[in-house]
Amino acid sequence: MLKKESTVITQADTAVSMDNVTKIFTQWQRENAGKGLLKNLFKPQKKIISALDNVSFNVKRGEFVAYAGPNGAGKSTTMKLLAGMLQPTEGNISVLGMSPDKDRIKIMRKLGVLFGNRTELWWDHPVSQSFEWKKAVWNIPNAVYRKNLEMVIELLDIENLLKTFARELSLGQRMRADLAMMLLHSPELILLDEPTLGLDVVAKRQMIDFLKRINHENDVTIIVTSHDMDDLEEMAQRILMISGGRIAYDGIFDGLREITGSPARFVLTMDGGFVPSLESGRLISYENGVYEFEADITKFPIRKLLRQLSDMDGIKDVEIHKASIEHVIAGLYASWK
Amino acid sequence: MADKMTWKRFLKLLTVYAKMDLGSLLRDTKFMLIAIISDIFANISAISGIFLLAWKFNGIGGLDRYEILFMLAYGSIVNGTIEVFGSPNAAFPSRIIGRGQWEHMFIIPLPYGIQLLTGFFPFTCSGRFLSGIVLMCFAVPNLTSALSWQQFFLLAGNGIVSIIIIVALSYLVSSLAFYAPVQCEEISTTVRYSIEHTSTFPLSGMPDFMKLPLLTIFPAGLTAWLPALIILGKTPVFVTIYPVIFAALLSLTAAHYFKKGFRYYVKKGINRYHAGGHRC
Repeated sequence: MLKKESTVITQADTAVSMDNVTKIFTQWQRENAGKGLLKNLFKPQKKIISALDNVSFNVKRGEFVAYAGPNGAGKSTTMKLLAGMLQPTEGNISVLGMSPDKDRIKIMRKLGVLFGNRTELWWDHPVSQSFEWKKAVWNIPNAVYRKNLEMVIELLDIENLLKTFARELSLGQRMRADLAMMLLHSPELILLDEPTLGLDVVAKRQMIDFLKRINHENDVTIIVTSHDMDDLEEMAQRILMISGGRIAYDGIFDGLREITGSPARFVLTMDGGFVPSLESGRLISYENGVYEFEADITKFPIRKLLRQLSDMDGIKDVEIHKASIEHVIAGLYASWK
Repeated sequence: MADKMTWKRFLKLLTVYAKMDLGSLLRDTKFMLIAIISDIFANISAISGIFLLAWKFNGIGGLDRYEILFMLAYGSIVNGTIEVFGSPNAAFPSRIIGRGQWEHMFIIPLPYGIQLLTGFFPFTCSGRFLSGIVLMCFAVPNLTSALSWQQFFLLAGNGIVSIIIIVALSYLVSSLAFYAPVQCEEISTTVRYSIEHTSTFPLSGMPDFMKLPLLTIFPAGLTAWLPALIILGKTPVFVTIYPVIFAALLSLTAAHYFKKGFRYYVKKGINRYHAGGHRC
């Protein structure tokens, strides 16, 4: 693990607790060739996969936590374990002080779950019908339902979707409607697995703003997975990174930059014929007189770098960017392979 | 938001599904009516062969024409009731498992049994039930002796027992879908429809080696023929209890294996790693 921030959390403060959780799956190995097919018939080959390996973490009530990791790292497995859809091979899980295995119904009254690749809306009914169904099945009191319905209609801009069949909605509209339905019972904890999957910039913006708002104003605990690190950084206060079934980082986003050396990007646009040379930077790309360098500003102070630039001839323009979290994490993923 | 399941709450849940179903009927009336009428035609054509034979030969195996019609109507009502409560999927649990739809059920704060029982579609899935009622209305007045109130009581009681047998069998075979979701997705459909088609044949006069399996390991005879005999008073009294005992044992067995399969599914099942895979 790269870093672990230790804080004392009491039981009442804890929304989610995973304690040495291991989840093992068996994957059958199959061959297509004749000999392999026969071998498979008599002695099938199995591969044991540790989707989660002794994972422990706590999430405090009211926190907005990003749960990230490369493909196959164990993110969705964690979400399914927390939602009670799977049981761990070993270890203990507590959600809102209850066991997902034993207290499924009680937890589901306080939990909202949204998987980006599936919908909870009734496919062949108008969206409003799905909302009415949820009200009855969750037994939501009229006043709570009305208040939440008004809130989601306004904040998610779904008024014009209410009479449309779920199957006729675009992906972005469907996600907004799903998110709205998930919130109708005032969940205390929300698990979102890839909620921005396939959304355009406007729909994504709407969703991010909304999630930040309900976390801030309603104190709803949110755990979200996504491959879009910039989105995650904008939404969450803390990031849990998982790799190979283990927690690889638990802390704030800027902490990741420190660990990876806090690289900054310098984009220099040069007059024709001039070739820049940045002593403390590494040239990443070059095209039509535009040079991009990367430099670690923790090792080479920005003052020194700026001095170098001011001494350089032929510079038309300079742009300096903090490394995007996307780049920082891509570097981390590459180092974990 | 109390957790307690009361009759009032149960009825409220049924009402929600009924309202949704009525909504479907009223929104897409033309297409829904076509679907209902198609179900009625499909049901009548499925049983008309046996009835025509009974008409031609003035009965089959000790049952006269209208007793055969009574038996066929009984089977239609039983299967129609299952469709009204069990369509589209609750009576075909292997479909729910094979299509990964159980994951939707995990996040609903109701016991799984209640979720399955309250899927109520009294309008759009009523074709078979309605045709069964109409056939029964033709059969009963034409029976050689009028049905007594005790026989109507037996009709209702046996109907419930037959429903339990069919549903229990469907859940028993569906427990296999927890181990191989893709391969067994339609296993309950196959078994249910096989039972339903076989149940239209009157077993009177058949040799024991053919009759016994149809009253035990593949209990099609318990879903129309034997109940019809019991209701019409054509069996010894002690036979009356047999379908009840069978239904109880089958339900317990189905519950045991379904729970066992479910535990396996929750412990081991996930789409990417499961041997049979799950559809997402």
